[in-house]
Formats: sequence, structure tokens, C-alpha cells
Amino acid sequence: MKKQFGMLGIALGMICLPAMALAASDFSGSWVRNNAGSDPAPNAMYWLTRGGATMGGGRAAADVVLNVHQDARSLQVTESGSVVRNYTLDGNPHTRATDTRMENAVVTANLQGNTLVIETTQPFGGMPGNATLKIKEVWSLSPDGKTLTILTTRDLPARQQTYKQVYNRTEPTQGAICSAGCVVPH
Amino acid sequence: MTKNISRRKFFAGAAASGFAAASASTIAAQTPAAPKRVGLPDVWGQDFLYQWSPPEHVKRDLTPGPGVIRLSNSQDITNKEGTDYANLFKSMREGGWTACEAASAAWLSRKMPDSEVREIKAQLKAHDVVFYNIHCAGNIIAPDPDAELWQRHIIDAIHAAEEMDLRMILTHTGSMYPNRNTAHPLNWSRQAWERSVNALKNICKATAGSKIKVAIEPVNTEAINNPWAMRRLREDVGDERIMCGLDITNMVFAGTAFRMSELLNTTFDLLEGMIAYIHAKDFVWDGMLPGLDWAMNGTGNMDYELFLAHISRIKDPIMYVEFLNSAEEYQQAQRNIRAIAAKIGVKIYGTQA
Repeated sequence: MKKQFGMLGIALGMICLPAMALAASDFSGSWVRNNAGSDPAPNAMYWLTRGGATMGGGRAAADVVLNVHQDARSLQVTESGSVVRNYTLDGNPHTRATDTRMENAVVTANLQGNTLVIETTQPFGGMPGNATLKIKEVWSLSPDGKTLTILTTRDLPARQQTYKQVYNRTEPTQGAICSAGCVVPH
Repeated sequence: MTKNISRRKFFAGAAASGFAAASASTIAAQTPAAPKRVGLPDVWGQDFLYQWSPPEHVKRDLTPGPGVIRLSNSQDITNKEGTDYANLFKSMREGGWTACEAASAAWLSRKMPDSEVREIKAQLKAHDVVFYNIHCAGNIIAPDPDAELWQRHIIDAIHAAEEMDLRMILTHTGSMYPNRNTAHPLNWSRQAWERSVNALKNICKATAGSKIKVAIEPVNTEAINNPWAMRRLREDVGDERIMCGLDITNMVFAGTAFRMSELLNTTFDLLEGMIAYIHAKDFVWDGMLPGLDWAMNGTGNMDYELFLAHISRIKDPIMYVEFLNSAEEYQQAQRNIRAIAAKIGVKIYGTQA
């Protein structure tokens, strides 16, 4: 009996080992943006200079939900109303099309201790001939794992912007469609 | 009254008609069935889709030309009495701006003494800043009698430009409404076209012999809102001083908003040798209606790499940055422009602090 328990323990240990190794930096989960604790996020798509409904760049106060699915080698991020992002966590540059599908972005994602660092270089608006935009995101979790903080730096020749976004862990919304909320990762 | 025609004349006339008909049919055979329409070429699905998405593999020749681009902005030179021109041009230069222009209403509001004109020229030279243009107000095809008054204004601006050794004045063909910035439904009518051509003929005739270029800025709200119209205008006016003050973003509509690389290639090709200078702006389409909004240079739909490459192939190119809100934004725009230019090897005159 004791032997059987011992074997079971070893088996459980084998199963849980990868998860334990990731525990300090596993960002998986559903996260809702804490607007009060976050800086106003700039308009990531456009830098308007005159008029326009979105002038000022402030993000509307509606809930922003991130659904993150992480395994040993990759990270998938689904944000309400946004394109799904897939990252390979190997620290190497990977090329993907920009959202316009007209240009390319080069993305590097790397787990560094308890943080995840994602660096992206792309034409600002994803259009030919745009100024080069460098985005650096540093993700970190609170010790209790209930708060995700993303510190973002956006670097253009014209200006540098740094802002912090704070997300609280929440329950995923099963079955929601992307345009209305999000799809829970499988 | 019945006209009597002799048999000989009748047959001669018939023969001539037959020849004319034969000639016409020969010409018709050589001419496309439908007149060529202006605009960018079809991409796909033209029988059921607007041609608003670009084709794949648009040619983008980023080879820099020999021109070194001077930048100016809407920090105009004014003729305000008591202006410290040394300081004015020094601050422009320190900000990276190496060319400047004046607004006509302000510039013509005071007759400058000759000594002041000499002082301006001396300070421009000392600080290596080029004063190149009087940017004109008004509407040369406005409802009468305003049209004639505004044509006189342009003529006065041309004389003032001569006095300052400028290269050009800039105006628009205007609108059938009093305000040129308001699109009139008949701005694209034959009447508006003829008023535009005649207005410019009047201006050219009154300033015959002048070397000042009369640059026309194509604008969406007016008849001259594409490079084909710009070229035809020059032909119809029949004066080589008619040039283009090119503002690509002023010609953008939904059909070209995402085809800027092609619009740039087409425009610089069609207007080769007749671009007096260029406005530098950017835009995005960020609304449900074809709502285009101004954006920071280098962040919108304008293909700035290709734009700068084309500009660098023009002789003595000058680029005018406008429609921004603050000195800080102008500096930001300049940083983007200089960075993009450096990336493709295009040279920008001077340096930015």
C-alpha cells in the first residue's frame, strides 16, 4: 500500500513538475482591467492631431478583459475587441504580419525570472512607409497571483510614452464571442 | 430661302463627306470605345467592388534622389512692424526649419520700406534660411464681384514675391461659394472649370514676364483635386508658370485612402517638372463614414518613405509641415520625418536640436 502511495506521489510529481516550474511566471487566466489603478492608455492605432471622435487617445472606461493562456513554450492573449496574439516564449525574434496585413512586425517574447518581456518592432500604423515604432511590454504578477501589471513603453522617433496597466484576476466568460467580449482559450 | 447647289459642287461635297466619314471611322477604330477615366487602375472585382484595397506588390522605389529637402512650417514670416528678423530666422534655424513662407493677407497689409526688405534678405542669408513663397488667401472663382478682387490680390502677391526674390506664390482654383473651403455642388461643372482657367489666364496676363511661379494647390473640395486635373489646368491656361503646390493628403478620398503608394507614384509621375513644393501631412480613416482625420506625420496612411524618396528627386525640394497644433507637435513631426528620411538615405537640410 505504502509503495502504491509512493508511486502515485511520484506520478503526481511528474505531472505537476512543469506547472510548478512555471508557477512563478504563469500569466494564464482571465484578467479585467482596473481602470482606477491604470494609467490612461494612448490610442495604439492612431496618433490624431486634429478632430476625430477618438481624439485625445484616451481609452473608453468600458471593461477591458484579457484572456491569457500560457504553456511552457507559448502564450496566447485575447483581448476584447482585439486580434488574438500568439507569442513564442523562446527569446528569439519572430516575424508576423501587422493587423493591416500589409507590413510585418518582429516580436520577441521572453520569460525573465518572474516577468515576461515582449518586444515588438513595427511600422507605427502597419502601413507602408510609417515611422518605426518599438513597443516593450513588461508583465509581472503580484505575489498572491491576483494582480497582473503590464508596463508598456512605446518608442517612436517623435516621442516616447510609458504607461502602466493593472488587471485583476477574474472568472472567464464561457462562450462569449470575440466582438462582444472574448473567447475563452481552449 | 432655298439654296441652289450645282451637280459638281454636290458631288464634290459628297466626296468630301465620304472622306470625312472614312477618316472618322479610321480614327474611331484607333480610339478606345470609352474615354479613359482618371483614377488608379483596377485591382480585382471591379464589376462589383470599389477598388479601395491596394494590389499586392506595389512598386516602391525608395532610391533617394540628389535633392536635399528643406523643411518649413507654419511659423510664417510676417511683416509685423518691428520684427527682429535676426532672431526670427535664428530660432527657425535652431528648430531645424530652413525655409519659410508668408501668408498673403498679413504680408500685403503693410508696404515695407526698402531698408526692411534689404534687412530681411541679409538675415535670411546670414542664417541660411530660404524665404520661398507667399501662401495666398482668397477665392479666384468666387461669385462676382469677389472673383476679380481676389485675382487682384494674387497679382499683388506676385509683385510682392518679386520684390522679395521668392520662387512662387501659392493659391487654389477655389469654389463657386464665396468661401473656397466649402465644396459647391457645381465646383466640377464646365462653368467652374472655365472660371478657373479664365481666372488664371487673367492673373498670368497681368503679370506677364514675371518669373514667379503660380502654384495651385489641388484640394478635394475644388475642381483641381487630382493630378490629371492639375496637368490639364496648366495646359488649358497655357502658361508654364502654372505649377503644382502639392498636398497629397488634400487629394485623398475613400478610393485612395489605402492606396497611397500608388497615388504617390502616379502623382509624381504625372506632375514631373511642375511641382513647386510639397505640403507634408498625414491622415487616417478612423470613422464609419469616409471620415479622414489628420494624424501625426509618419503614423498614418501616407507612405512617408516613398513620399520622401519622390521629393528628393525634385530640384531644390522644400517641404511645408502644417496643420499641427503646437510647437511641440511640429518638433515631433520633424523628428519622425528626419528618422524616416535617414532610414532610406534621403537628406534633410540642417539639423534638429
